Amino acid sequence: MKSFLRLLPVILLCQICLPAPSLAAQDWVHTGTNLGNQVIRLAAADFKPVGSDPQTTALKAVFDATLYSDLGNAGIFDLVSKSMAPQSMPGSPQEIVLSQWAAPPASASMVGFGSFGISNGRLTVYGFLFDTSNTTNPQVLGKQYNEAASEDMARTIAHRFADEIIARLGGGVNGIAETKIYFVSNRTGTKEIWSMDYDGENQHQVTHLGTISISPRIAPDNSRVAFSSLGREGWSIRMYSLELGRMVSFPGGTAGGSNLSPAWTSDGTRIAFSSSRSGNSEIWAADASGGNVHKITTLAGPNVSPVWNPRTNAQIAFVGGRTSEPQIYTMNQDGSNIQRMTDSGYAVSPSWHPNGGLLAFSWNRKYGPGDPGGQDIYVFEIATMHWLQVTHQSGNNDFPSWSPDGRHLVFQRKLGGRTQIWTMLADGTHQQQLTKAGDNSMPNWSWK
Amino acid sequence: MEGLLEGTDHLERELAPEPVAGPAMGSFALHAILIASVVSYGMLSGLFRHSVWGNQGGGAMQVNLVSSAIPLPNNQPVNQNVLTTEKPSKAPVAPSPKTEQKVDETAIPIQGKQVKPQKQTTQKTPPQPAPKTDNTARYGEQSGTPIPRASQQSIGSVGQTAVGDSDFASMFGWYVRQINAKMGSTWYKREVDPRTPTGARTYLFFTISRDGTVSGIRLDRSSGSPTLDQSCIRAAQRVDSFGALPPSYNKSTLMVSYYCEY
Repeated sequence: MKSFLRLLPVILLCQICLPAPSLAAQDWVHTGTNLGNQVIRLAAADFKPVGSDPQTTALKAVFDATLYSDLGNAGIFDLVSKSMAPQSMPGSPQEIVLSQWAAPPASASMVGFGSFGISNGRLTVYGFLFDTSNTTNPQVLGKQYNEAASEDMARTIAHRFADEIIARLGGGVNGIAETKIYFVSNRTGTKEIWSMDYDGENQHQVTHLGTISISPRIAPDNSRVAFSSLGREGWSIRMYSLELGRMVSFPGGTAGGSNLSPAWTSDGTRIAFSSSRSGNSEIWAADASGGNVHKITTLAGPNVSPVWNPRTNAQIAFVGGRTSEPQIYTMNQDGSNIQRMTDSGYAVSPSWHPNGGLLAFSWNRKYGPGDPGGQDIYVFEIATMHWLQVTHQSGNNDFPSWSPDGRHLVFQRKLGGRTQIWTMLADGTHQQQLTKAGDNSMPNWSWK
Repeated sequence: MEGLLEGTDHLERELAPEPVAGPAMGSFALHAILIASVVSYGMLSGLFRHSVWGNQGGGAMQVNLVSSAIPLPNNQPVNQNVLTTEKPSKAPVAPSPKTEQKVDETAIPIQGKQVKPQKQTTQKTPPQPAPKTDNTARYGEQSGTPIPRASQQSIGSVGQTAVGDSDFASMFGWYVRQINAKMGSTWYKREVDPRTPTGARTYLFFTISRDGTVSGIRLDRSSGSPTLDQSCIRAAQRVDSFGALPPSYNKSTLMVSYYCEY
């Protein structure tokens, strides 16, 4: 007790002292508007080849090209052209001369660089991201990758490193370089579900049903693909497990009439779809296992193409046909509070932006006899009812689908009788065609 | 008597009804035609409504989306406006922090050499460089007080290591630029009352957690314009995340003092 009393002043003193350190445990930053807000000018150096494995050159070319295109596709960088960048290939922080990269014509504010080597059939990649304006602490990112040596893995490592850079510099939004796009292709003769990387590489067939399969929707955890397929009972919702590599049952999706266009909630627990089992085509919902099927809408006219608000999972946007032409509506998940979004024309295939504030859909604003307008992709702000036309005068555009970062859209474009998959930034720039063989349609961007 | 007879005759003639029926029928017919034409015009235009398909309903309208929902970068040049004047002076040409010091060096001799500036008094007034240097204050600049890097060391209150590196802005300038970019895209300047004087500044405090989320937004110094204060607070509230704090930053949160300048 005595010792406690002797310590008491010290304890009290400490208690007085403690708040001060806890305040000092944070740093202060003083900043504000008008200090400039330029798009980051980023240089992606060619990686330095290490070792003498004969595969190195070929795989490094794949790696460099993939990294460069990933950073360009991200849409948030002003990427330094390879012809403007210095010739040097710095492989480590000791080898890079930042002033070289900061000077014109590169004028880069950030440099991604590193080394790429193969030894004993393993790829070893060191990747760095340096800030050229900060000479004392330039390193923003340092990563090491070690994978089996193959072209696929070279591409995968490039995707991962690009995503690291984008996550670091993209303001809290993760990159999409590792995402996939699921789509319908008829290149085998029948319409089957296919998948590809977000940049159009690595296309391969998912289903082999020999019938017509359309509107693939990938589950948020990338475990299953839901789609509608024509079978003995008409159109039914079916499910393919990517983990098992085979079809799995979805009992709620097979019933009389047409069951079309499934849509996952962002937590992967429920699926909405349109079904005409009760006569009219209405929006129905079921658990991800196919149980607990219930009807949401009882409206005049056909109601199809549901899609959940991924932010809340409490609202559904859908296409309603109660007026003569289909229009976009939103409603609560119990079917209440139905709001009409589009005022005229022919509006179909909604896709809800990851942050819940925007819809993208395909709209023919001047639909009618004697007025064959183009079918274009529009981005629609729900709160203000403002819209933005993002494709202009190039073919018929349909089935937009948001990327998980909310910066990109994938869509199908019918041009000259052929339907192909395209991507673009959500402001309509940077349009790229991803598919070339056969007819490809109804793309769906994976959630991660 | 005759006069009286004439009078009654005249009176009868006076009392005899005028021919109303003819003009009244004419009036009815005219009105009927008018009404019929109005009704038939309405019906006909209703029947052929498809001829005005398209822009009829006034529900949705096209504008450029002002929302920050699409997280694409927007290029905002450095605002060179001096606080009090509309036209920027030529003095601070280079916006980079390296050349900023050069501006200071040139500014001081101008004040020292009183003879030359007096010749150019009409164009370059002496007081202008002073607000200029205020305006170009950067996030890198901080008060000289070094901040201890770790709480344990400051209990001892003696050994503060790496004082020079403790400045967040000098270590992680890229993250500060990211704060600027994000706030720039979420601050809607049109929310501000246009009567707000140009150059008015409102100062905010907020805290960024390790995962990049924002908390504890409060007004530090009002600009005097409630709309500007509100818009700046809303800008911070709109931010979901600034992105995770740098892994090599070893503290739990980052305090930010941010200003919005109209």
